[in-house]
Amino acid sequence: MIDLLATLFCNPLTCDRRTGMLLVLPLSLAVSVVYKTIKCHSLREIPLAVLVSWITILVGMAVVGVALLGLCHILV
Amino acid sequence: MKTASVRPSLLRVLIAGVLAWIMPGAGHFFIGERVRGLVFMITIALTFWGGVAIGGVKNTVNPQERALWFLGQACAGVHPFLAIAWSRRVEIPSGADRARWIAYGQMEDISIVYTAIAGMLNVLVILDVLGRAERMGVDQPGGRASPISERAGP
Repeated sequence: MIDLLATLFCNPLTCDRRTGMLLVLPLSLAVSVVYKTIKCHSLREIPLAVLVSWITILVGMAVVGVALLGLCHILV
Repeated sequence: MKTASVRPSLLRVLIAGVLAWIMPGAGHFFIGERVRGLVFMITIALTFWGGVAIGGVKNTVNPQERALWFLGQACAGVHPFLAIAWSRRVEIPSGADRARWIAYGQMEDISIVYTAIAGMLNVLVILDVLGRAERMGVDQPGGRASPISERAGP
């Protein structure tokens, strides 16, 4: 157990740049969970609100990314 | 039976805020919002320690090298201080490849962002618990405060 913890937390994760981009998924999910848990009055509303918020963040970031890539292609 | 409706003391609000800083979600537990508190506790701990797992405990929380980032990380309460205490116990063997212990480049950036965002999320949680503790009335004869979500209202 201690060896597993040591491996998990002492040795950094190694992955390539493209795989590293996937780490935005849990981070945006955490932001959605905390934000919607604060905002929702009833606890039952939270799961659906979190899902909608998470998808909105991801789609929004993808749109901004594509727009910036397009701008970059036009300018450079 | 008479029902008292009084504003909570400043001390109670302050205790809720301080508890929320020390352990994310503990402030909500203190004011009776147990499920909300549990959600915050798990989410912020997972985000923070997820960041530490990405970058390695040795260098992710480093107040000497990244003082401004540490301000963000320190808002996550006890977690960054545990990470610092752990990092001081971890010794990199002489001659060992440092990249096996310390993340560089993109992984280093991601780990710092994860841990700092965990701290910033806890700022939201602290502000929320301060607001809830202030709004919460003592509406039972025994003086036990009930969470806002349990009280009947328009």
